[in-house]
Amino acid sequence: MAEPATRSAPVPLYSWAAVGLPLGLFAWLCSFVPEVSAGESRHWEVQWLPQHDIALSFFVDGLSLLFALLITGIGTLIFLYAAEYMRGAPHIGRFTVFLTAFMLSMLGIVLSEDLITLFIAWELTGVTSFLLIGYRHEDATSRRSAWQALMVTGAGGLAMLAGFVLLGEAAGTYSLREILADRGALAADHRYHWILALVLAGAFTKSAQFPFHFWLPNAMAAPTPVSAYLHSATMVKAGVFLLARMAPVLGGTEAWTATLVTVGAITTVHSAVVALTRRDLKQVLAYTTVMALGACVLFLGVPTQTIEGDVSAAAAAAMCLVLVHALYKAALFMAAGAIEHSTGTRDLRLLGGIGKRMRWISAGIVLACLSMAGLPPTIGFVGKEALYSSASAAPSGTVALVAIFLASALIGTVALVLAGPLLWGRLTEAAARAKPAPWQLWCGPAILGAAGIVAGLAAGPTFGALVLPAAASVGELPEHFVPSLWHGLGPALLLSMATWGLAALVFWKRRAVARVVSSSLSIIPLTGDSAYDKVMHGIAASALGLTAVLQSGVHRRYVATVFASLALVLATTLVVRDAIHVPELVPEASFFEWMLGGLIAASALTVIFTRSRLLAIGSIGVVGTAASLIFLLFGAPDVAMAQLMVETLVVVIVAIVLLRLPSFHYEIRQNRFRRFRDAVVATAVGAATSLVVLAVITDPPQRSLTEYFERTAVPGGHGRNIVNVILVEFRALDTLGEITVLFLAGSAVCALIQRRSRYRRLGSLVAAGKASATATDPELSQR
Amino acid sequence: MNALLMSPVILPLATGVLGLALRPYRRGQQVVSLLAAAAHLAVAGALLSAVWRDGIQADQMGGWPAPYGITLVADHLSAAMVMITAIMLLATVIYACCDVVEDSLVKDIHPHLQVLAGAVCGAFLAGDLFNLYVWFEVMLVASLALLIAGARKEQLDGAVKYAALSLVATTLFLAGIGLLYGLTGTLNMADLHVRVQDVENTGLVTAVAVVFIVAFGIKAAVFPLFFWLPASYHTPKVAVSAIFAGLLTKVGVYALIRLFTLVFTLDVGYTHTILLWIAALTMLTGVLGAASHNDLRRILSFHIVSQIGYMILGLALYTPLALLGAVFYVVHHIIVKANLFFIAGALRRLVGADDLRHLGGVYRERPLLALLFFVPAFSLAGFPPLSGFWAKLFVIKASLQAGQHLVAGVALFVGLLTMYSMTKIWVNGVWKARPESTPVPDEVRRPLRAALLGPIVALACLTLTIGLVVEPFYALAERAGHELTNPDVYVEAVLGRGGEDVPVAEALPAQAGLQ
Amino acid sequence: MDTIIALLVGVLMGASVYLMLRRNLVRFVLGVALISHAANLLLFISGGLVGADPPLIQVGADLPGEGVSNALPQALILTAIVISFSVFAFLMALAFRAYESLETVDPDAMRAAEPPRGWKSQAAERTAGTA
Repeated sequence: MAEPATRSAPVPLYSWAAVGLPLGLFAWLCSFVPEVSAGESRHWEVQWLPQHDIALSFFVDGLSLLFALLITGIGTLIFLYAAEYMRGAPHIGRFTVFLTAFMLSMLGIVLSEDLITLFIAWELTGVTSFLLIGYRHEDATSRRSAWQALMVTGAGGLAMLAGFVLLGEAAGTYSLREILADRGALAADHRYHWILALVLAGAFTKSAQFPFHFWLPNAMAAPTPVSAYLHSATMVKAGVFLLARMAPVLGGTEAWTATLVTVGAITTVHSAVVALTRRDLKQVLAYTTVMALGACVLFLGVPTQTIEGDVSAAAAAAMCLVLVHALYKAALFMAAGAIEHSTGTRDLRLLGGIGKRMRWISAGIVLACLSMAGLPPTIGFVGKEALYSSASAAPSGTVALVAIFLASALIGTVALVLAGPLLWGRLTEAAARAKPAPWQLWCGPAILGAAGIVAGLAAGPTFGALVLPAAASVGELPEHFVPSLWHGLGPALLLSMATWGLAALVFWKRRAVARVVSSSLSIIPLTGDSAYDKVMHGIAASALGLTAVLQSGVHRRYVATVFASLALVLATTLVVRDAIHVPELVPEASFFEWMLGGLIAASALTVIFTRSRLLAIGSIGVVGTAASLIFLLFGAPDVAMAQLMVETLVVVIVAIVLLRLPSFHYEIRQNRFRRFRDAVVATAVGAATSLVVLAVITDPPQRSLTEYFERTAVPGGHGRNIVNVILVEFRALDTLGEITVLFLAGSAVCALIQRRSRYRRLGSLVAAGKASATATDPELSQR
Repeated sequence: MNALLMSPVILPLATGVLGLALRPYRRGQQVVSLLAAAAHLAVAGALLSAVWRDGIQADQMGGWPAPYGITLVADHLSAAMVMITAIMLLATVIYACCDVVEDSLVKDIHPHLQVLAGAVCGAFLAGDLFNLYVWFEVMLVASLALLIAGARKEQLDGAVKYAALSLVATTLFLAGIGLLYGLTGTLNMADLHVRVQDVENTGLVTAVAVVFIVAFGIKAAVFPLFFWLPASYHTPKVAVSAIFAGLLTKVGVYALIRLFTLVFTLDVGYTHTILLWIAALTMLTGVLGAASHNDLRRILSFHIVSQIGYMILGLALYTPLALLGAVFYVVHHIIVKANLFFIAGALRRLVGADDLRHLGGVYRERPLLALLFFVPAFSLAGFPPLSGFWAKLFVIKASLQAGQHLVAGVALFVGLLTMYSMTKIWVNGVWKARPESTPVPDEVRRPLRAALLGPIVALACLTLTIGLVVEPFYALAERAGHELTNPDVYVEAVLGRGGEDVPVAEALPAQAGLQ
Repeated sequence: MDTIIALLVGVLMGASVYLMLRRNLVRFVLGVALISHAANLLLFISGGLVGADPPLIQVGADLPGEGVSNALPQALILTAIVISFSVFAFLMALAFRAYESLETVDPDAMRAAEPPRGWKSQAAERTAGTA
């Protein structure tokens, strides 16, 4: 975790310039607030691949605006923070480029109007975050974390792609506005459950839902500006965004509700509990992120369309939670980074009393923790009230209520754990060394902390401008959902009070609780992280095992597999497709023809079984000669001549080479089983071939091509030997290729043989033998 | 006679044969090779634009009418393949100027590269089955000569396996031609399309089709016939590996696509189901092989196998979108895969290793190389908006549309493993610090470095272009896919007038008098 | 006779497959020689054994007489013979060179281009040298 040593280096100009981009975008997006809160939306489109209805198309509605403002607004502070934080670090240029690209692709997700564009932006956030998390690329942990994040979110992304394609098929378009306009139609489609499962896989992995949560805490390996950004406004929020975006079309069904509520509840409680056991500041924060995401998922799962008004408050609550969480989490992360920056540690136990040294940072932490704990007058309080009131009103809200109550209490405890020792604890050694942070580092936490209070005090306008328009994109706009700091003494407030009480209780007994939790968690044999390792290891091991079997390096096994496949598939086809036609059992043939056939077969078998090289060579020659006799018998003297000549050359070459190779007596005989197996393969191939050939020749030959050649040879080709005319006229291109092959092979043989020192003489002989038919020159017999 | 169809074949072939015959000085060999490759690119471009403008081009060699003479045909698929071959040839020749410096090897490799490209173009343009066979053989011998250039132990070993299995493939191909000729009495592929429909014993046609699946399957390196590829592709010079990786297996894929859209379309339910299984298993076994290796070129070799599976999947689904996807995949794959081999070579030259165990420090020391690796590697892994994403999207969309959910799932899972394997290289090779045991290589001089990196930059830009400006490439693939699903267009372009036999009196070539 | 040739094609095919599976590269090469005969014979009978006269046109005539054999397969075989011979010669040279270089003709022992045999030794090889 070594931070850059050269603090004296100036901040490069482009780091400053990079701040301008999110700032400008933020300002530009702010200009949409009035019209969007009035229920309108904006749309831009550039055609990309019209044949597939894929366009670079973007739109701004309430939901995308809320997220886009968070991305750019917090982005501005992050870029500012990063400029100072990364000063003097290596590769700042690359880092800035990646961070900018990451922000833009994140904006791409929330602004996309086209499913495929959305997916592309989605994957781009994966790749850019991979590059960012792996910033400390020479550190093995960083590399592993980056890779893990990419693999987990990438796997989800691929599932999501399939889901999107199916969704596009079902809806007939990739345009989100068109899909959203047709609310509820998809639930009736027979592919609905597939689409749902696949899209949820994408969202859950991205938003680190249980059991895919493990990559997020590991992603802490990134430099603090990146983790602050990743955890607050971006990346993990992409999954929540996607769920919110898809809720109108995919939501409202039992499957949707059951999955989201279950997964969200488990994630919330599980991560809140784990957070208590961690000592590393960033780890604690990471688990609270997972917890908040779980809560968002949970609330998006609560039905939004069954009962009017009240119920869709769940959507508003979820959107509010997104806002609250983004504000406090970014603040806390930046503060944690600043503390580490000046003390060199993130261990909570070593940071007691740091608040006495770093005042602005501490102010930011206090404000953020207030919002986190849901204390008035922060927006966090308003948000939690909204959660409670909507959960208690929802038809199946009991699970949600219990989960949210437990999680809120635990998160309150975490807020106390964070704020307490840091601010009021005994001054530790490390904390005493701390120097005040530069303004770029504290302004982020301070501004965001303050924003939490301001938004809380002005709850009405905040909801009116940001939260409610966003919720309106998710479900029906809540009619009588009036957020304010003071609801009166209702059940929500009572629940809030109970939450604080429980939080204080747990904080008081936190050591005991942590002990119980760690010991009970250690009962679970498999954590997500170790499961990931097991899967990765399993893939590697099975890849190795399978490849070692298939690509064994044993040449004969390759050949055997090829021939066995041929025999199998050919025989199967012949039988299945009923293609076997055997003309007659005993063929009509003269005695001489029988003899010829028998001679060839016997010679072929001799080549197999003989242990004498000379006999083998001779038998090869006999096969060739007998074949040329067949050609001669049936009207092909040219072929016969060529065959005879070539056969002579073959025998000569084989003889020359074979006598230089080890005798057959040294060859390794395979055992009986192997020979039997090979014989089976060989027989199968031979039999299948014969059957096919027999079937083919039962049909009378079609001679239309030959008839044309016969007619045209004299007038067109000016030749009387039809075979020759075919070779040099009708199929001259083949002959050209054939000569090329001959020439290439000749030159390659020369290259193979001549380029050796020891056997130079023999090589020239073989080359000469190949090049001309006069291979039997006197030199050979001398050797 | 239309020189446009002939010249992409003859030009490199003549250059190569002359180069072999004359064996001039090294510099001369390189210059001639470069000039010829540039000219080849121009010719291929002209052919592609002619096809784009006027549709399928067919040319009867020697003026003998089809189906009697040999026809060269360029539809959109062929023209695109010829174009990409020309690009590959030029890139490889430039790269070889740095990669291959030994005198004896220069004289061997440059001419054979030309011959190989000529034969590959011949295979892409052949309208006659036996002619296709001849080009396969030219290709085989040229590639063997390239494979053994240098004659190191592992090259010879790889060459034995490559030669043995390729030989089985070409022999089966020849046998298949014989069987098909026996059934139909013709060799012209357009004519085969017509005549196969008249064969009474349809089961026999299917059996012959199966022989072709095996023959071309070996060439295309599909499961379970791919063994020669991972055994040999990592052994020769990098330039050679790269052009092999780009082109050779794709000729097999092309031949499968051609025959199984033009000739063997009568029993699609059977033959294409076999292809579907082959595709799924090829994808899976290939990517697992890649995941099991550390050597960059071995990893990449197995990835070739895996991606051949995607292409075969496109063919097996046999819908317009699927065939389009297959064509798009082929084009994308050739560019990306050859480039990755180039990069593996560049890593060895500039960083000192191409094995993950010894590789490192690229990100810190050679940021440009890291970036150049990033583009094709992440494209191969299917990240948007690079070319691989579109290729994957089309194939997966096609399989989902065809209701083949299981295969789509396999394709996606393989996509994940591909991602795993490519990012593994990034994580363990590019990011990791240079291991101390890895020696620092000699500095490569500037002009040579340009020859080394120039093709890589160009191909990476091409990958980016296909990804970002996908529409024209899609349009080309769409036309190719359309022609493949409507073979009548092809048949009519070759045979004229809907494929009826031309009366002999008319068929007498007008130029017969010239002789 | 065509039935006999069809059977011969199968016999030659089978014999060459068996040869190709021996632990001796020489037998493999001999198998290649046999399999090309099989392919040539197959091409030959695919055109039908229609006549015993060579496909020649007598001087003065425009057409060949009755009973000439099918010319096209013969032309194809001629091309195929030359090609398969070229490839065969190359293969022989390759086998010889491989023997010199690898000092064996046992294909099982030829694995210079491939990782060691068995997954255990492969696993060891893959992890060797990694930190």
